[in-house]
Amino acid sequence: MNLTFKIYRFNPESGQPPHYQDFTVDVKKGETVLDVLGEIKAHQDGTLVYRRSCRSGICGSCAMQINGLNKLACETQALELQTATVVVDPLPGFKPIRDLAVDLEPFYEKLRSILPYLINPDPPETDKERYQSPEDFAKIEISISCILCASCTSSCPSFWADKSYAGPAALVKAFRYSYDTRDAGLRERLDMLDNKHGLWRCHTIMNCNDACPKKIFPTEGISFLKRKVVENKY
Amino acid sequence: MEKGIGSGGAFAWFFQRISGAFLLIALLAHFWVLHYASNGEVTFQIVAQRLATPLWKTIDLGFLVFAIIHGFNGFIMVIHDYIHSHNLRLALVSLVWVVGILIGIMGMITIIGFKVPVGGVI
Repeated sequence: MNLTFKIYRFNPESGQPPHYQDFTVDVKKGETVLDVLGEIKAHQDGTLVYRRSCRSGICGSCAMQINGLNKLACETQALELQTATVVVDPLPGFKPIRDLAVDLEPFYEKLRSILPYLINPDPPETDKERYQSPEDFAKIEISISCILCASCTSSCPSFWADKSYAGPAALVKAFRYSYDTRDAGLRERLDMLDNKHGLWRCHTIMNCNDACPKKIFPTEGISFLKRKVVENKY
Repeated sequence: MEKGIGSGGAFAWFFQRISGAFLLIALLAHFWVLHYASNGEVTFQIVAQRLATPLWKTIDLGFLVFAIIHGFNGFIMVIHDYIHSHNLRLALVSLVWVVGILIGIMGMITIIGFKVPVGGVI
């Protein structure tokens, strides 16, 4: 079935303003938007730029806006969108570098700011793991599946309004460690969570819940963190 | 990373929930008293007599304080969402505080000094 792909094009070296370019592709059942982009790059326009790596929903590289919603291109079948024209944009809220590739450095900077690793000054018993019960693991299990695709942060209106806001992905990571029974780093993270660009910019709009390809529900984790910070302070 | 002005924001967030819960209860009570618990028609004289009692003055003062804090705290949150210039943010947050306190004082003067007007009209 022939579909039109309206793709955001931007090349800072050309001096041209960003614009859409239409490509017509014969899409077969089961083909993903990433397959189509590969088809366009191989046979129609080799200058098209986009990120991809694993092609199986694990690496998070191919997150982009498809028909107005943030999705992984490799997990989105083109025919299932049920539109004759598929509009493909880069992730909103980030600076486009070229075509569908955006500058994710601010995203990683926020991730690093919440210290996304286990903090525990007490050493584990010699030759023993830090034990965590299956019940305690279940509380954070879903948040561990984050692939850092940036779909959630990029879909967040609070992030669009305040680019210094930590954003759902970084806050979910903070939740993942703060609710890990083996971690003792909340005090160190508190400063980055409890500030004007931290937790309190989340107004439970829940776009992130819809955008997450791993169904993590970042809003829930952020709400748990808000409670934990308040309990910790008062 | 830049952290913005003022304290973290945990108290503002927490108190917004407390004041919200209070306002919800107070509003339901207000509707119940005004529209269901009153016997007969609602006239100015009946409402004025109720408003002039110390109990209702206390309730209305609580209503006033919580409503102003809840509303203006909301304004401050919107400012923190959208205003990124430090100086403009400081100026607008200060303005919100001044306007909030002025409205609060006007409301308190009205509630505390309220008496039932002679003859039923002001």
